[in-house]
Amino acid sequence: MTDRSRLRLVVLGVLVVSLVATLLGRLWYLQVLNAHAYGVAAQHNQTRDIVTQPPRGEVLDDTGRPLIDNKTALVVSVDRTALQRQPDGGVAVLHRLSKLLHVPYKLLSHEIQQCGLASSGKTITRPCWAGSPYQPIPVSQLKPSVAATMKAIQIKELSEEYPGVSAQLQPVRNYPEPEGAQAATILGYTQQIGQTQLAKLSKAQQTIQLGTEVGAAGIEESYQKYLRGTPGLKQITVDALGAQTGVTKNTQPIAGDDVVTNIDAKAQADLETELQNAITTARNHGFTADYDAGVVMNVRTGGIVAMGSNPSYSPRKPPSSYSSQAKYLQAEHKEGFPFLDKAFGTTNPPGSTFKMISSSGLLGDGTMSTGGLYDCPTTFQKRTSFEKVPGLGSITLAHALIVSCDTFFFKLGWQDWHNDQTLIKEGKKPKQGVQALAHDYGLGENPDLDIPGAAAGHIADRENTKLLWEANKKNYCEGAARRPKGSYLQRLDAQDCKIGYIFLPGDQENEDVGQGTVDVSPLQLAVAYSALANGGTVFKPRVAKAILSPSGKLIRRIKAPVRDHIPLSQGDQDYIRNALYGVTTSTNPMGTGTSVFANFPMGQVKVGGKTGTAELSGTQENGSWFASFGGPAGQAPQYVTVIEVDKSDQGAISAAPFVKKMWDDLYGLQGAKAALPNGVPPTLHTAIAAAVVAAAGGAKAGHPHHAGKSGSGKHSSGKGTSPPPSSPSSPTSSAGGLPPGLPAIPRREPSE
Amino acid sequence: MTDLSATKRASPVKRQRPESLTARALDRDSFLRRLDWVMLAAVAILCVMGLALVWAATKPQGASSSYVKKDVLDIVIGLILAVVAASIDYRTLRAYTPILYGASVLGLLVVLSPLGGRINGAHSWIILPGGFEIQPSEFAKVAVILGMAFLLSEKRDSRPEPTNQDAWLCLAFAAVPVLLILAQPDVGSIMVFGFIIFGMIALSGISAKWIFGMILFAVVGSLLIDHLHLLKQYQLDRFTAFTHANSAQSSSSFGYNVQQARIAIGHGGIFGQGLGHGTQTQGQFVPEQQTDFIFSVAGEELGLVGSGLIVLLSGVVLARALRIARLAEDRFGMLVAVGIVCWFGFQIFENIGMNLGIMPITGLPLPFISYGGTSMFASMIAIGLLQNVQIRSAR
Repeated sequence: MTDRSRLRLVVLGVLVVSLVATLLGRLWYLQVLNAHAYGVAAQHNQTRDIVTQPPRGEVLDDTGRPLIDNKTALVVSVDRTALQRQPDGGVAVLHRLSKLLHVPYKLLSHEIQQCGLASSGKTITRPCWAGSPYQPIPVSQLKPSVAATMKAIQIKELSEEYPGVSAQLQPVRNYPEPEGAQAATILGYTQQIGQTQLAKLSKAQQTIQLGTEVGAAGIEESYQKYLRGTPGLKQITVDALGAQTGVTKNTQPIAGDDVVTNIDAKAQADLETELQNAITTARNHGFTADYDAGVVMNVRTGGIVAMGSNPSYSPRKPPSSYSSQAKYLQAEHKEGFPFLDKAFGTTNPPGSTFKMISSSGLLGDGTMSTGGLYDCPTTFQKRTSFEKVPGLGSITLAHALIVSCDTFFFKLGWQDWHNDQTLIKEGKKPKQGVQALAHDYGLGENPDLDIPGAAAGHIADRENTKLLWEANKKNYCEGAARRPKGSYLQRLDAQDCKIGYIFLPGDQENEDVGQGTVDVSPLQLAVAYSALANGGTVFKPRVAKAILSPSGKLIRRIKAPVRDHIPLSQGDQDYIRNALYGVTTSTNPMGTGTSVFANFPMGQVKVGGKTGTAELSGTQENGSWFASFGGPAGQAPQYVTVIEVDKSDQGAISAAPFVKKMWDDLYGLQGAKAALPNGVPPTLHTAIAAAVVAAAGGAKAGHPHHAGKSGSGKHSSGKGTSPPPSSPSSPTSSAGGLPPGLPAIPRREPSE
Repeated sequence: MTDLSATKRASPVKRQRPESLTARALDRDSFLRRLDWVMLAAVAILCVMGLALVWAATKPQGASSSYVKKDVLDIVIGLILAVVAASIDYRTLRAYTPILYGASVLGLLVVLSPLGGRINGAHSWIILPGGFEIQPSEFAKVAVILGMAFLLSEKRDSRPEPTNQDAWLCLAFAAVPVLLILAQPDVGSIMVFGFIIFGMIALSGISAKWIFGMILFAVVGSLLIDHLHLLKQYQLDRFTAFTHANSAQSSSSFGYNVQQARIAIGHGGIFGQGLGHGTQTQGQFVPEQQTDFIFSVAGEELGLVGSGLIVLLSGVVLARALRIARLAEDRFGMLVAVGIVCWFGFQIFENIGMNLGIMPITGLPLPFISYGGTSMFASMIAIGLLQNVQIRSAR
């Protein structure tokens, strides 16, 4: 061997040694230094979490009729990991699936993309998958039908043509619409859990909750924790092909609890019908009537019996069903904001219905008394009554309420304002009695409804007027400069810019007749009128009444909390209530609602109320209101019904007739079928009945002064608030009275 | 070779030949005593480990017994071939070189014909009846090593080093099988050939210009291949997969391979998950885990201890082969050993390296460990040849 070769052999030897050393070093790096990380990766590789979503709880009406239940639908799901293993990344499979399901390929491929930031740097938005990448992604829901079953069979049989695609029966939300009640805005809807919601959860919870449907509005949202149930988690070990090799953990899903509501399906359906009729009628008379809204509330329990607005939407077509944000917004605008419940989500000046509150306020702060006579001039400081009431001379408050004399209140308001001004000059706090009482009635405050989205409205006073002006001064002044000189809005802006911070006597006058800067929602007005009707208890209204376990056990009773008591003597309250009975019955003087209720059988059910016509500046249209309370004749009121029709005729014309119809519907008068005969739901589920009784008892306890005065509902009459466990505490409803499909529920006595 | 050993051999110690076979076998100068037992032991352990790993790797398929049986058969046939390769004096073997070479070239031609089978995108196999497959490129390695050793050790004009002419002849000789393999295409084998050719020419003692020239050629060649897009996309993917296996986008199956193999090996830790108990292996997360990616099985189930042992034993084989090269009696023997060192050295580093994610993916088996007959046969022949040179080397 030459020396050259020998040297090169040494070099080769060194090379070999270094290669061996490199491999050993790398082994050390992987198996010692990074062993933990790779161990975790291997663990993650071989285990799959299969989350079984539990059936969501049902939402029932006051008699146990399901407003929301579940149906089994054939859900076609796509496993993205399996698709990606395809040579073409699953393009061909998706094309085949798109043809089979008649769903555009583009939509399908978009639906299975992971939401959030893609590797390309683009943000993927709905429709997309927010769940775990290992979870099959539901892409289509087939109604159970022969055709659907055939499709499912095709997917299952030709599994080689549809790798990663599965068709399974899964529970999905169903809306039986008992009696035709939709109640969409009350019930709400579910949608896939969002990234922000997920981020708030613990790691373990994230695994389970990924891709789940969560309530996004209404009861579905606020009672999510009951309705949701507990997902089942099966942890399996798999091989590289995803085939199961073992089970490491298996917990069964637990079905969600049911929510029993105060909503009565029949009453709700009736309200929806009347709202439809009201809006159609107003439009037929040439009014814009862009929306109307209504509330029926139980004055004794604070329960919402019916509530809604029109235009609304079908619970089957919720916002989450729109394929894009743009399409959703388009629908919002085109269809008149159907997803917003105007009954509690928007506030407007309530017109003269507010006089109930201002009467309370003026009595409360001593500006007037029930025995006094006050002037109702034709004009007061060049202003006439909105409802064209002629001058009546000196009249009582009752008379003023019955005929709805604005000038009566203008004058007292003016007086009230000056009284307060005197107090201020003396260095004292102004009483602002009307505002104080309004807040006591829950106006200008969040009503604390048990579903989200309730508006607080606004009650103007000296302080908040100034604050508001400071916040908006710039806008007013800019508007004054920008708008055409001399135009109505320009003058308004100019005035606001200059003296907007002052709460003028005119502001107080306007406020006392429910015009100007008083904004309330129909729900708030219903709560206020309920307080007047029940003797002063202001409730935080509740849609839900009780939580039942899937087996029908009463888990929790939901009682409307008491917000406040009206600081007004029972005498004053009785006075106002009686005056409002006159609005619908008095013929001399003629009540503003008398003609509407002319044929109403007051001998059976006595209804009082107040019309309201809020002038909309610059138009011939009004916010038309009617707020009422009523109950079986000779008894204390049971319910309050409020309807608002926006941009229409006077309250007595556009709103009152439909409120009257609601009373017919509730009690089954004048040929209508009763939703609540004698004021109670007709057939009661035993467990629900227990909840009803308890809730009624709770309301009684809430305002003792009222308890002895009236024979309240049939349920609580003659019974103590806590019946002995052995005594039948609820009406025994026959099994035949139960709606079909309800489980036979073991009777359960209320626990409190 | 050296004068010292020559002197030793010529020492005039009178020795009586023992009569019995055993005694003869144990004789100091006997055939058996001259074998490199260290290397054989290393190979034997590697083969046994290979059997165990093939068993573990194919266990989830539920067919491990047939795989193990076939592997045992391959080892036995390989041993026979090794014995044959060791028995015929390598100097005589030179005469058979053209035949071996011709057969390899013919095999490579058959592979490209419709008779050849396609596995992983390359025409590398001849499918024989009875489920046997032959990869002629493996035998071509042996043929090229023998042929080049022959060409580079032909003495011309009593010059100690090969001439330029010898080297050019060598290149032309090697070019035929290399071009045929390029047509398959089997990038891994081409790279092995590259190292064999480079190593053998360099170690032949030729002028350093050749070494630099060949390095320059390799660099320019690879740049050209990249620039002219001579590689197919899947080949490029395989090549580049290991550079980004950690990123989430490595959705290509090659990136997946690299990542899964790396997870498997890391999962093994120091002592491994136990043979047949690695979740990565038993879940078949690493594709080709009984052949090209068998090292990942060792990594996961035997841990650093077992996989490190494979690396060390492979190192032992290489070290012993280098020793044989150093001690070889003539240049032919030395070059054969060098050729085999280059072959095994690169192939082992490449295979384990790709399992560890530091080398690109090529379809190269791990000698003595990976399941597969042809590779086993060729490797065993190589061991036989090394022993051949060892036996006949000067003492």
